[in-house]
Amino acid sequence: MFHWLEQKPFFFAVVLFLTVAFAGFVTIVPDFAKQSQPTVGTKPYTVLELAGRQVYIKDSCNACHSQLIRPFKSETDRYGMYSLSGEYAYDRPFLWGSKRAGPDLMRVGNYRTTDWHENHMMNPSDVVPGTVMPKYPHQFTNMADLATAYANANTQKELFGVPYDTDGMPKLGSWAEAEAQAKEDAKLIASDMKNQSVKDAVANGQVPEIVALIAYLNSLK
Amino acid sequence: MKKMVIGGIILIVALMAGTYFVAGDAFQSDDYINTLTMIGALAIIAITIFTVLKYVNQIKNDTASGELVDENWDGIGEYTNAIPSGWGIIFIGTIIWMFWYFFVGYPTNQFSQIGQYNEEVLENNAKFKSVWENPTDETLKAMGESVFLVQCAPCHGVDAEGINGKAQNLTHRMSKEQVLSVIQNGQQKLGYPMGAMPPMMAQGADAEAIATYIAGGMKGEAPVAFAACASCHGADGKGMNGMSPNIAEYDEKLVTKVLEHGKKGVIGTMPSFKGRLNPTQEKAVASFLTSIKAGE
Ligand code: HEC
Ligand code: HEC
Ligand code: HEC
Repeated sequence: MFHWLEQKPFFFAVVLFLTVAFAGFVTIVPDFAKQSQPTVGTKPYTVLELAGRQVYIKDSCNACHSQLIRPFKSETDRYGMYSLSGEYAYDRPFLWGSKRAGPDLMRVGNYRTTDWHENHMMNPSDVVPGTVMPKYPHQFTNMADLATAYANANTQKELFGVPYDTDGMPKLGSWAEAEAQAKEDAKLIASDMKNQSVKDAVANGQVPEIVALIAYLNSLK
Repeated sequence: MKKMVIGGIILIVALMAGTYFVAGDAFQSDDYINTLTMIGALAIIAITIFTVLKYVNQIKNDTASGELVDENWDGIGEYTNAIPSGWGIIFIGTIIWMFWYFFVGYPTNQFSQIGQYNEEVLENNAKFKSVWENPTDETLKAMGESVFLVQCAPCHGVDAEGINGKAQNLTHRMSKEQVLSVIQNGQQKLGYPMGAMPPMMAQGADAEAIATYIAGGMKGEAPVAFAACASCHGADGKGMNGMSPNIAEYDEKLVTKVLEHGKKGVIGTMPSFKGRLNPTQEKAVASFLTSIKAGE
């Protein structure tokens, strides 16, 4: 019955490949498409948070910290609810990480606060004796790169359809609007901080890296 | 032919004897899995040898016959024989199985990570409940200490003294600075039945005197102005049975309120622990905190 097919090995191989590929396609893609929808309540990052995210990447926090809580009782006791794939819908790039020299940070915003981060980033062993986490005092003097963060957000909006400027989602607007908003957000963070030079910088319309980073860490919930 | 059968039987016996010699004591154990494995191993030996014998025999004696198909591949032909009925049955069987698996087997039995997690949580909660059914003061305190070390020590310090003013010193109720700030600004954060604490209940030297008195642990004579506070916090400062915060010492009510609502004060911000600790754990932390005092 299939002699005509058996005589054409190349054609046969292609048809076989297509058949198997189709089976894979219909089993994987619909599920994947469903899982990668943003979960209810997941919002894109504001410009200030994105600037903090860039500090996080630049200073290689993801080399020691994961952002992925696995569904084990021991992990959910320590960090909170396990991670869902839809929660990463606006993470570009994602920062799952593959090494935990330090704790997971997926929901650190729930159980750490601005003033604690301020103390901890300046000198981790002040608050956690014996920690191997390095100090990051330069974040208190370096300024965050809001322009790149805005470009990043705008690209995501234009290219990937990330829903900035829609109902209930963060406002992006023009660069001038976004910059002003980011500086407003920075003032809120700085009001909970103690470091005088950081407070002065924010009052002068500058945004030190530490402020952006804390905004980002506080947004991790 | 006979030689082969006899050889085969000798081989079976030899292999079985060898197996028994190496792993025979598995029969002695009362774990039936070992016995089952041994019997399985023996069956595999027997079946393998008989099958091999059968096919060796067939290769020796059979001759090819039947009708050839038209084409051949470099001189290798193919007969148009029907497939063996056993294969046919298995083939149809797999098709039936496919439908079962697609519609029943996979949907109802598929592995779920989350399902496994939920089972783990249920099991854990049941165990927790049975172990902590009737906790004594001692076990509660021990549990509270371990919860404290994991959840609270990064801010309050392993000695609970607040790491040089970075968070509340839990071996001491409140500092003068804290009380003064509350008197000046009022406070509405903890969700006590009495609601908000109004600002400016006392001023100037009165406020100073009150703050010194409270920070000192409310010992000795109360300043006259404290009367303004006593109407809500009670003359002893203990909060009139949970209507307002106990400002004389830590109690369970205060700890659970802080854990539920978090707190923002002059020192900094304490996050809410709502949903992160269960009621027994909250009680345990409270009993640990009420048991520690400065210098102990
Ligand atoms: C060398 C590895 C290392 C690097 C790099 C590192 N950390 Fe950590 N981090 C740790 C360790 C270890 C701990 C646990 C002890 C402690 O709290 O200091 C920790 C703890 C933390 C915590 C507290 C989490 C909790 O649940 O207690 C935060 C927040 C944090 N790190 C943020 C950062 C940020 C932001 C960066 C990048 C600027 C960073 N870390 C870089 C090792 C690291
Ligand atoms: C109208 C009733 C009322 C009066 C009068 C009052 N308080 Fe309060 N006080 C409260 C309530 C209610 C709270 C809890 C506020 C909250 O939810 O954060 C509170 C909180 C406090 C706290 C903070 C406790 C904590 O754990 O955070 C201090 C300190 C305090 N009061 C001191 C005083 C002093 C000193 C006076 C007198 C000058 C005074 N209060 C008068 C009702 C009162
Ligand atoms: C992220 C840091 C942080 C963590 C984690 C934390 N606390 Fe606190 N806590 C604070 C700070 C800061 C204050 C002081 C707030 C103020 O009055 O300014 C505080 C205050 C308190 C108070 C005093 C509240 C009052 O009204 O006087 C209690 C009690 C307390 N914490 C208990 C706990 C317990 C129990 C845990 C662990 C389950 C815990 N805290 C975890 C930062 C923290």
